[in-house]
Amino acid sequence: MLTAGIGALVGAIAVIPGLGLLAAPLRRAIVRGAGQPLRVAAEQDVKPQKPIRVTAVGEVQDAWLRLDHVTVGSCWLVRATEGAPIRAFSTICPHLGCGVDWNDKTGKFDCPCHASSFDLEGRCLSGPSPRGLDELEVSLDTHEVLVRYRRFRTGSPKKEPIG
Amino acid sequence: MNTGPVPIREARPSADRSRPVVTGPRWRAWLEERLGLAVLEKAILGGEMPGGASLWHTLGSVAAGLFVVEAVTGIFLSLFYAPSVQTAWASVAYIQDQLPLGWFVRGLHSFGSSALVVVAGLHLLQVLLFGAYRRPREANWILGLALFGLTALFALSGYLLPWDQKGYWAKLVEATITGSAPVVGGAVQQVVQGGTAFGNLTVTHAFAAHALLLPAAFVVLLALHVYLYRKHGPTPKWSLTAEQIAARTQPAFPYQSVRNASVSLFVLTIVTCLVLSHHGAALESPADPTSSYLARPEWYALPLFQLRMYFEGPLELVATMVIPGVVSALLLALPFIDRAPTNRPSDRKRVMAAVGASLVALGALSAIAIAKDARDPAYAKARAEEETRAREARRLAEKGMPAEGGLAVFRNDPLNHARDLWDQRCSGCHGLTGLGGDKGPDFKGYGSRAWIRGFLENPEAPLFMGTAKIDRGMKSVQGTPEELDDLTEMVYAQTGAPDADQAKAARGHALVDQKDCDSCHELDGEGENAGPNLKGRGTLAWVEAVIADAGQGRLFGEKNKMPKFAGKLTAAEIEDLARFVLSQKTAN
Repeated sequence: MLTAGIGALVGAIAVIPGLGLLAAPLRRAIVRGAGQPLRVAAEQDVKPQKPIRVTAVGEVQDAWLRLDHVTVGSCWLVRATEGAPIRAFSTICPHLGCGVDWNDKTGKFDCPCHASSFDLEGRCLSGPSPRGLDELEVSLDTHEVLVRYRRFRTGSPKKEPIG
Repeated sequence: MNTGPVPIREARPSADRSRPVVTGPRWRAWLEERLGLAVLEKAILGGEMPGGASLWHTLGSVAAGLFVVEAVTGIFLSLFYAPSVQTAWASVAYIQDQLPLGWFVRGLHSFGSSALVVVAGLHLLQVLLFGAYRRPREANWILGLALFGLTALFALSGYLLPWDQKGYWAKLVEATITGSAPVVGGAVQQVVQGGTAFGNLTVTHAFAAHALLLPAAFVVLLALHVYLYRKHGPTPKWSLTAEQIAARTQPAFPYQSVRNASVSLFVLTIVTCLVLSHHGAALESPADPTSSYLARPEWYALPLFQLRMYFEGPLELVATMVIPGVVSALLLALPFIDRAPTNRPSDRKRVMAAVGASLVALGALSAIAIAKDARDPAYAKARAEEETRAREARRLAEKGMPAEGGLAVFRNDPLNHARDLWDQRCSGCHGLTGLGGDKGPDFKGYGSRAWIRGFLENPEAPLFMGTAKIDRGMKSVQGTPEELDDLTEMVYAQTGAPDADQAKAARGHALVDQKDCDSCHELDGEGENAGPNLKGRGTLAWVEAVIADAGQGRLFGEKNKMPKFAGKLTAAEIEDLARFVLSQKTAN
């Protein structure tokens, strides 16, 4: 028993700190991106009823690495009428994370993977998606559209940000 | 015909002597029937210690225990390490400085490897002392030496992995030594380092060797080593007679096992204390192939390092190949050379003398190497510089590493970053060399008395506003040298420099009206006039304001020709640039 006890102590010294190291990703975000408003388009490029797909380029911190100009994600910019405020929806389908496309003929956003469809305001019209498209925070800076890009947990009716 | 009842075969033989009888709880019997644990138990815990358990015989177990600690910590480290020139240092710095307990696991791995070398060395000495290498244990002696060799290869390959200064340079020296071996040296070097020069394949090769090949080889040899040890049993101390050995014999478990475990814990406690007191293993600054680094090997290679000093030119091979080769060959051949009648050291005087002389030589060579560096002020200076550089690199790495990795970490330094911004945004108009800018002032020595004095004497010189070609710019200030000194000091004092002479500056202040400076310049920090308001001129805030928008009323106003950078650069970038400009006061 004594031998086993001492042996266990030796093992614990080697293993427990290692488990602490292993658990690090549970306690901190390893990949951290954006969070900042990023310029995605000029205001005039967003025409009524004609959503445009834009990419948000920003800074990403991935473990030790920092990248200054990487694509953080993409979103659809939408405005209902001329002069109406511009809204931004993440292109990530809230169902299982495929990229939704704008269908000009039907005037809807369609998910190519599992056929969820969404209207111009992001509401889910049909298909398995548990919630509407995820809206992102938009701001304007002298005719430039800025979007605060974020990711949300997919597959849940609640819109919960990740990271 | 036999019509009697067919005997029913017993499901279980009642007395199967081939199986150990299991007593105890039913679950044990259940497990035993399925797994045959008793056989395993006998294999692991069986065995006897002829002459009794002893601390002498713990060393092999402790070395094996340390190997397990190395394996466990190594696996954890490998989950976070990325082997490439760009990522090696960055990922190790991340483990060391950013992951919780990363420094501890890495420290345990590093100090544990040193402890393994020490314990394996003591184990080797114990075997020499006890004559345990002798017939019939020759094969196990050779296996032990092979394991010792693998330990050295572990150390060599592991040392390189952080791709920091000491790892890089130590490995470079070793690779060159390998390459200097006759006939095959060059080819071996190219294969081991993955090319004719150090690069990504050097790191991947070292990592694969360290984490896959060597552990696999080590485990196989260690298993054979343990198997042969169990086959032949431990060698009892030479002083015991056959009767004493028989009388004192104990089962290895628990008498020897508890000693093995206790000494392992003792050694690991020392290792842990070293890890805590050093805050883990050292990590120097990223490898810089263009530096002149004072390379020193890890402590256990110091004797070889020092030995090489005595052999120059073509004789260098004597130190790097011949002597280590001869010693290795002698060790391997020892069981076949040693024909002494007993294990007593007194019967093996020549072996003992050779071992003793070797130990003295190793100790002396290490001591000379250490003493020489300790006396050398250049070495102390180089160490201090490296420590500063390493601290700086690791602090900068916490901001996130640029993709180029390694030395690119120094670009995280605001001044270096500002230099890049300067090259992109400012150098088209401004100079830094003292030769003048193309369309604006040269900032060499900006903020110094000499720069201000030069400006006052001739603002339209090419070094100052000459190339900016401003309409109705500032005129030269006329006055005695003393007056110019006082005015210079007044402007100099605005920068907030602590060495400004306030009395002189006050005299300069009094001259502002007399010299008509105030017809263009205000001094209150707010008022607008034809020239810039001089209050706080040359402070960080003032330079930031100029970079952000030099056309502000209180600065150059309508005469300004410099573009506005507010909006094009972030506030942080403008601050970095302003600091960079101010750093030119003392830059060469």
